[in-house]
Amino acid sequence: MSLEEAQHAGEPLLKLDSVGKYFGGLAAVQDLDLEVRSKEIVSIIGPNGAGKTTVFNLITGIYRPTTGDIRFDARSISGLTPDRVLRRGIARTFQNIRLFNNMTVLENVLVGEHTLLKAGVLGSLFRPPNVVREEAEARKRAIELLSFFGTELVERQDEYVINLSYAARRRVEVARALASEPKLLLLDEPTAGMNEVETLEAVKYVRRLRDELNLTILLIEHKLTVTMGISDRISVLDYGRKIAEGLPEEVRHDEKVIAAYLGTPATRAERKSVD
Amino acid sequence: MATARMLLPARDTRALLIKWVVGLLVPVMVFTFVWSGEQILNNVLLGLTGAGSTPYDTPTLIQAAIFIVVFYASMMALVGYLVAADSGNRGMIELWIDLAVFTLVPMLLALSLGLVIGLALCAVIWPLYFIVRRRVVKALHYTPPPPLKNLKVLDAEQRAVLVSRAAAGGFWFGAVFGVVWLIVDLIYYISGALPTLLLILAVVRTVILPVAGYFLGRLGGVVAVRRTLAAKNSSNGNQQVSGDGRGVSQKRQLEVLSTSRAREEARDLVPNDLPLRSSGAQRFYLILIVAFVLFYPVLDPFLFGFGTSGRLASYGEAGYYVILALGLNIVVGFAGLLDLGYVAFFVIGSYSWGIIGSAKLTQILNLAPLNPHLLSALFWPMVLAAALIAAFFGVLLGAPTLRLRGDYLAIVTLGFGEIVPIVFLELDQYTNGTNGIVGVNSPAFPGVTWSIVTPVPYYYLILALIALTIFANVRLRDSRLGRAWIAMREDEVAAASSGVNLRNTKLFAFAAGAFFSGIAGAYYSAKLGGVSPDNFSFGNSVIYLAMVVIGGIGSIPGVIVGALAVYSINILLLAQLDTLASDSTNPLYTLHNAIAHFVPGFSFGNVRNLLFGIILVVIMIFRPEGLIPSARRRRELHHAEGDGEVELGTLDVTPGSAEFEAEVRIE
Repeated sequence: MSLEEAQHAGEPLLKLDSVGKYFGGLAAVQDLDLEVRSKEIVSIIGPNGAGKTTVFNLITGIYRPTTGDIRFDARSISGLTPDRVLRRGIARTFQNIRLFNNMTVLENVLVGEHTLLKAGVLGSLFRPPNVVREEAEARKRAIELLSFFGTELVERQDEYVINLSYAARRRVEVARALASEPKLLLLDEPTAGMNEVETLEAVKYVRRLRDELNLTILLIEHKLTVTMGISDRISVLDYGRKIAEGLPEEVRHDEKVIAAYLGTPATRAERKSVD
Repeated sequence: MATARMLLPARDTRALLIKWVVGLLVPVMVFTFVWSGEQILNNVLLGLTGAGSTPYDTPTLIQAAIFIVVFYASMMALVGYLVAADSGNRGMIELWIDLAVFTLVPMLLALSLGLVIGLALCAVIWPLYFIVRRRVVKALHYTPPPPLKNLKVLDAEQRAVLVSRAAAGGFWFGAVFGVVWLIVDLIYYISGALPTLLLILAVVRTVILPVAGYFLGRLGGVVAVRRTLAAKNSSNGNQQVSGDGRGVSQKRQLEVLSTSRAREEARDLVPNDLPLRSSGAQRFYLILIVAFVLFYPVLDPFLFGFGTSGRLASYGEAGYYVILALGLNIVVGFAGLLDLGYVAFFVIGSYSWGIIGSAKLTQILNLAPLNPHLLSALFWPMVLAAALIAAFFGVLLGAPTLRLRGDYLAIVTLGFGEIVPIVFLELDQYTNGTNGIVGVNSPAFPGVTWSIVTPVPYYYLILALIALTIFANVRLRDSRLGRAWIAMREDEVAAASSGVNLRNTKLFAFAAGAFFSGIAGAYYSAKLGGVSPDNFSFGNSVIYLAMVVIGGIGSIPGVIVGALAVYSINILLLAQLDTLASDSTNPLYTLHNAIAHFVPGFSFGNVRNLLFGIILVVIMIFRPEGLIPSARRRRELHHAEGDGEVELGTLDVTPGSAEFEAEVRIE
C-alpha cells in the first residue's frame, strides 16, 4: 500500500521519456514524453497515421524504442519482449482485433492466463492434483472475467471467436487482456466499428474497469465524444509528436489540436469544395 | 420379471431396434461365419475343455478367448448404446449402406488382401464413398435438419425409457444372433463337422447370449443417458446456478451457438442423428481397437493364416513411423513450424543407441568389450537418454531458426536435415561411415527372447512406446503449453502480447518433437540390429511430413492413421505389387501382362513412386484437411468457403469499409 501511495506522489505508473522510433529515415514517433498515473484513464488521440498505435507497440515491446526510455512501476521496460512486458503488468488489445480465431472464447481467455499458470512439462504430462486444481481455477476465473461483460459471453464460451459479432469479439479481447491481471491496460480503439449503443456500452465498461477492477487505462480513441467523456487527461499526437496534453476541456479548445484534427481553416475550405 | 414387457418393444422403438440389430448383425455374422470368429471360438472351447485337439497352446487360447469375449460383449453394448442414442431421423437403408461400406468392405478386403493392404485401400475407398454420397445427397436436394433440433431435456422417466430401450436392443441382438448361430451349428453337427461337446456348448451359448445382451445393452444405455442434457438445469429457467456455468444452463449454452459450432457439439449429444459418429460410440470402437491390437499376435494366424511373423515384423516397422509422425505433428501441427529436416533427430536417436548399444563405444574408448547382456539391459535407460539427446539437439538446431517463419524456416530445417546425416556419415571413427554400425544389441527383458525370428516382443515394445507417445501428446496438447503452441500458430504477435514467450515455446516444440524421434531412433536401431546410413535421406523427412498432412495436421488420431496409411501404401502395397503380380491367380498378374504387352520390360517397381505420388495427390484433392482432421483445421479450411458464418450485427461496421472510414472522419 505504502509503495502505491509513494508512486502516487512520486513517479507515475508509466512514464515515457523522450521516446522516439525511426523506421529507416521515417520518424514514426519523436521525442515523446507521456505519463500515466495509477487509476487514471488517459487517452491518446490524433489523426490517422499520427503514430498512436506505434506508441502502444513501443510500450508493449513489439517495437524497441530507437531513443529514450520507457519506465513502468519505477523500472525500465524498454527493450523487453512482449511477454516480459505483460509479466510486468501491462496488457493490451489491438486496433484490428487479434484473437485466436480458431480457438473458443474460453480458450482465448485461458491463453491470457498463461503467465498466471505454473504447470511445466512434467506437470502437464502427469497432471498431479495441484495442476488439475490450477486448471479448474483458471477456467473458473476465465468465466468470471467473461461475466464481467454480462451473460452473453458466458453463454457462448464454447463458441469459436470467429463466429462472434464484432463488438463481442472486442469484449473477448479485453477479457483476454484482463486475464493476466495487469495493472495497466492499453486499449487500442475499443469502440472502432461499433454502433452507438455498443459504443455507449464500451464506454461504460471502460469506466467499470477502472472503478471495479482498479485498473489504470491508456487508450487510443478516434471518437472524440468517447474520449472527452471518459478521459482524465488527453494527449494529442500528430506526425509522431505530442502537440498538446491536458484535461479534456483544455485539449478541446487547443488551436493546434483543432488544426491537426479538423484541418486548418484553409484545408477545411478545401475539403468543403471537394464535397 | 417385469423385464418381459420391456423386451417387447413399443411401436416407435421397433423401427430403431430393427435398424440397429440388423445393421450390426450382418457385419458381426460375416466376421463370425465367413471369417474366423467361430473358428477362434471353437478352438478355444476345444482346447480349454481338453475335449479336442487344437494346434494352439494354452496361453494363446486364453488370449484369444479374452478377445472373443471382449469383442462380442462390446458389440452388444454398442447395439444398446446406438438404440438409445439414435434420434431416428436418418433412414434405415441409408444407415445399412453406410455400415456395409465401413465394416463389410474392410473385412472382405482384409480377408482377401491382408490387413494392412486392405485397410490402406479402405483409406482410399472411404473418402471416395463420402464424395459419392455427398453428390447423391445434393442431387436429392436434401437439406439436413438444424443440428440441435432434436435436443431435448430428458427427465428421469425418459432416461429410464432410454435405458430399457437399450436393454431391449442388446437382448434382441443377443437372441437373434444366438439362434442363427445355433442353426448354423446344427447344420454343421448334422453334416458331422461338429463334435457333440461343442453342440452342447452351443446350446449353453444360445441361452447366455440374450441374457448377456440384456445387461450389456443396459450398460450401453447408461453410457447414452450420460450424454443427454441434464433436466434440473432448465426446469426452473435461469435460477439454477451450475458449477462453472455461472447461472447459464447447458441447454442455453447450446442454443446460442452458431450453426457450424452447434453441429460439432451435436455430434456427441443424445438423442443424436448420427450416433455412430458420437463420442459414446467411439468409446466402444476404442475398446475394440485396443483389444484387437493388444491380442493381434495371437489372432493373426486365425485371421490371415500363414506368414504371421513376417507381418508382425513389418508392423513393428510401421510403429516407429507412427511415433515419428506424432513427434513431427507437435512441431508442424501444434506449433505451426514447418520442419523439412525432421529426419535429423531420427538419425541422432538411431546413432545414440547404435553407438552405445554395440561394441563401438568400448572400441572408441579403448576399453575391454562389455558383456552383451549388460548392454542389452542398458537399452531401457538409453531409450530415454536417446530421446533427451535428440531433444537437446532439437533445441540446438531450433535456436538459429527462431526468427524465421514459414518458407524460410522450411529451407533452414531442410539444410539441417541434410547436414546432420552427412556429419554422422563423415565421423568415420565413431560411426563406421557408409558401412554403418552392425551388431547393435537388442533390448533385454527377463523371460523374453529378442531376435529377428521372434517379432512378438518388438511388436509389444513398439506398442508400449506408441502408447506412451500418444499419452504424452494428448496431455501436452490439452495443457497450458499446448494452448500456447496453438495460440502461437494462430497469431504470434497476439500470443506474445498474451504472455507467451515465443522463444521458449518454439524451442520446446522443437525439443518435444525431437524427443519422440529419439525414441523412434533407439527402437529402430535395436530392431534392425544396426544403423544403416542410407535410411536417412531428405526423402524420409518428406514422407514423415506426408504422413502428418495426409492424416490431418494437428489431429492425433489422424496422424496415427496417416502414418499407417502412408506406410501401408508405400512399403507394404506398392513395394509388393511385383510379388503379387507373379502369382498367376492374382488379378494383378493379368494387369501386369496386359501392360507388359504394350510396354516391354514393364514392372510395377518401375512406376512405384509414380503410383505413390498419384495416390497422395488424389487424397489431397478429395480430402485436403486430411483423413481425420482436427476440428480446428477443418474450420480453417472451410472458413474460406463461407461455411463459418460471421455474425455482423445490423449496425456493425468492419474497419476498412467505407462506412467505417466515414464514421472515423466525422469525429
